[in-house]
Amino acid sequence: MPTMILFSIVFALKANADPSVISCMHNLSRRIAIALQHEELRCQYLTHEAKLMLAVQDEVTTMTESPDCSPQSPFRQILPKCKLARDLKEAYDSLCTTGVVRLHINNWLEVSFCLPHKIHHVGRNHIPPKALESSLKAIRPYHALLLLDSEKALLAQLPLDSSPALVRLIKTCSAVKNLQQLAQDADLALLQVFQIAAHLVYWGKAIIIYPLCENNVYMLSQHANICLYSPLAEQFAQQFPGHDLPSMLAKFSLPISLSEFRNPLDAPMHEAQLIQMVVWMLQRRLLIQLHTYVCLLVPRSEEETSLRDEDPPLAARVGSRSLSTPNALSFGSPTSSDDMILTSPSMENSSTELLPGGDSPLNKRMMETLLASLTEHERQVILSIPAAQSPEDLRMFAKLLHYFRGHHHLEEIMYNENMRRSQLKTLFDKFRSVLVVTNHEDPVISLFQSPPE
Amino acid sequence: MDAHSRIECIFFSEFHPTLGPKITYQVPEEYISRELFDTVQVYIITKPELQNKLITVTALDKKLIGCPVCIEHKKYSRNALLFNLGLVCDSSTKTCALEPLVKKLSGYLTTLELESGFISNEESKQKLLPIMSTLLEELNTTGACTLPIDKSNTIHLKLIELRKDPMIVQEYDVPVFTQSKDHFIKSQWDLTTQQILPYIDGFRHIQKISAEADVELNLVRIAVQNLLYYEVVTLVSIFQYSNVYCATPKVQNLIDDKGIQEECLHYVTKAGQRASLRDVFQLYCGLTPGTTVRDLCSRYSQQLQRVDERKLIQFGLMKGLIRRLQKYPVKVVRDERSRPPRLYTGCHSYDEICCKTGMSYRELDERLENDPNIIICWK
Repeated sequence: MPTMILFSIVFALKANADPSVISCMHNLSRRIAIALQHEELRCQYLTHEAKLMLAVQDEVTTMTESPDCSPQSPFRQILPKCKLARDLKEAYDSLCTTGVVRLHINNWLEVSFCLPHKIHHVGRNHIPPKALESSLKAIRPYHALLLLDSEKALLAQLPLDSSPALVRLIKTCSAVKNLQQLAQDADLALLQVFQIAAHLVYWGKAIIIYPLCENNVYMLSQHANICLYSPLAEQFAQQFPGHDLPSMLAKFSLPISLSEFRNPLDAPMHEAQLIQMVVWMLQRRLLIQLHTYVCLLVPRSEEETSLRDEDPPLAARVGSRSLSTPNALSFGSPTSSDDMILTSPSMENSSTELLPGGDSPLNKRMMETLLASLTEHERQVILSIPAAQSPEDLRMFAKLLHYFRGHHHLEEIMYNENMRRSQLKTLFDKFRSVLVVTNHEDPVISLFQSPPE
Repeated sequence: MDAHSRIECIFFSEFHPTLGPKITYQVPEEYISRELFDTVQVYIITKPELQNKLITVTALDKKLIGCPVCIEHKKYSRNALLFNLGLVCDSSTKTCALEPLVKKLSGYLTTLELESGFISNEESKQKLLPIMSTLLEELNTTGACTLPIDKSNTIHLKLIELRKDPMIVQEYDVPVFTQSKDHFIKSQWDLTTQQILPYIDGFRHIQKISAEADVELNLVRIAVQNLLYYEVVTLVSIFQYSNVYCATPKVQNLIDDKGIQEECLHYVTKAGQRASLRDVFQLYCGLTPGTTVRDLCSRYSQQLQRVDERKLIQFGLMKGLIRRLQKYPVKVVRDERSRPPRLYTGCHSYDEICCKTGMSYRELDERLENDPNIIICWK
């Protein structure tokens, strides 16, 4: 017969603690309480442990009442005798240090929990859980999953009854493979891969990056610790003997692509080792990746009167085309549909519909609708560019127009439209009088390299 | 008024001699359900150990903040008067700013009761209801309330928004006003701040302000930190033509947000000129790692006929559209006998080193560029 019918797990926090921390702690309190309630109903575990603790407390009180004994705290005596006391102490210690709690109540029920505020931080800034969640909802099939621990270490941390899909994913994961390829190689649905990836990121075991390739441009992160005496410098020297971290980091002071490292004039360096070093630096948030973004901004005409308003730029006029990610990406919620297409999402005006066969009326009309979102002035300026005289170039420009709002980087356009980098770069160059090109980090995943200010 | 701290209900609860704990008044009526009150009443009209303490209870999607008061005297039935004037918010609301209010209210009511039996007298107690209505309305709209209760007592309440701690102000930081200087009534500020105000122009750094205003450096730092707390100023870095900046993802805000566009064009355009969005955007995107401001000026000289480059940089930094890349020297090679590097460790930027040692940028550059033991990192 259970006798402990009313109990509560209480955490004492500072009164001005962040509300998201408070709700996380509520969560943990509830989890431990549920496990204890179950064990109490099954075998009076809580009553049993409580009896032990009270017995020790009584012992200690009687001992301290005798004149020659100094007052003692009973807790130290309780710990060796009582498993529940040790579990609670472990929960407290873990929360204060790593932020990851794993208990086995009565050596039977597992309670696991992680405090995102402790796990997700870069330097002294922590990443708020809400920002993390919205970043995860925006990842795309062309992103990749980078494990923060070695495969072996990560697999060792998994519980015995972990999902085989998770194990398969960890084993197949690689910094050069994007999530779509990962899904194919691990024989999992893309949606499932997204969910497992989000799970690993939430638990601080992985981050989202753009897959490694030689055209990637990296730069030293603003928050990187480049101090000569940092623990990172020591670890790097141990991992890569003969190299020192500050010298390596200095090479990334200016944005540099991996292909540029293959300079025969530089000190000889194995390509494989370079990749390892870059991966090492990415795992420790020392590097950020820069992408190219393009924005359509047509020069103002000379004859404009001062009374006329500035036209709102294309971004404000073109409606948002959502390049959708499976949106069932909330933690822990079951998904209904497993039928994510594994090929790149087909856009409404995909390239296959525009026939390469010259100026057919169908093509002309298509182009006119595509250019319809532009103002008369913009259309005139674009059409007067020499490159616009080539129907193929103009067609490509019109088709990609909706990407020129500064929110889609080169690699995304390449992925969605199945185009080569050189094709796009040539196009940008031809129309450079109406386009402005900029380079910066991808705001969707930059969260993982540098936390928001 | 911060939308976060919206008060949904104000209630007055007391211990009735026969009926026990009950809600005597609440505005709006019937907001707190029977069920909710029964669940939390033990934290509203409390045991002696919890009295006079600020208690916030979250239950059934609501947060109740109150401060139970107990006044002991023979004249009361049961020898004590127990009451609690509390606020109710939605459970997701951040209520830190409301706590001092609740404490203050409990203090006011205690004073009123001790002076004139305001609460124990049935007639005067009824005045509570209109008082609570006014409080609710004014606190929610303006965040402040001044309400005379009787001839000698007036309630003054103000919701003070809790801001996060400002960062430490360094000697090489440059304060710049977030709004026009004339926007603020300077006579209300402390003497130190008033003395340094004329020198805050968005270009002078702290060390220079201290020297020119003849105010001790640490006092200037504290005064500026105070201004930073209230978001009156923000900090940017020293402007030099040799500085290097780069665009951040936020630069897209210039395209997406019409408000920022207009503000920017107004701020950076040279007098008598008309700069276009394309001009300004091209300039910001032209700022890349490895490009100095001098390089920018020669590359985009046409656009810079219409745009003031110093104001361009200042606006970009203030709004986070661009960020400064600083140089950090690191001494990587040294023989065992020499002293370990003090400043060339990768922790101190050129700005900092120049400020601390009094060297100019160029002098430091000359010294370090040709030293084979020192590498430079930009970040």
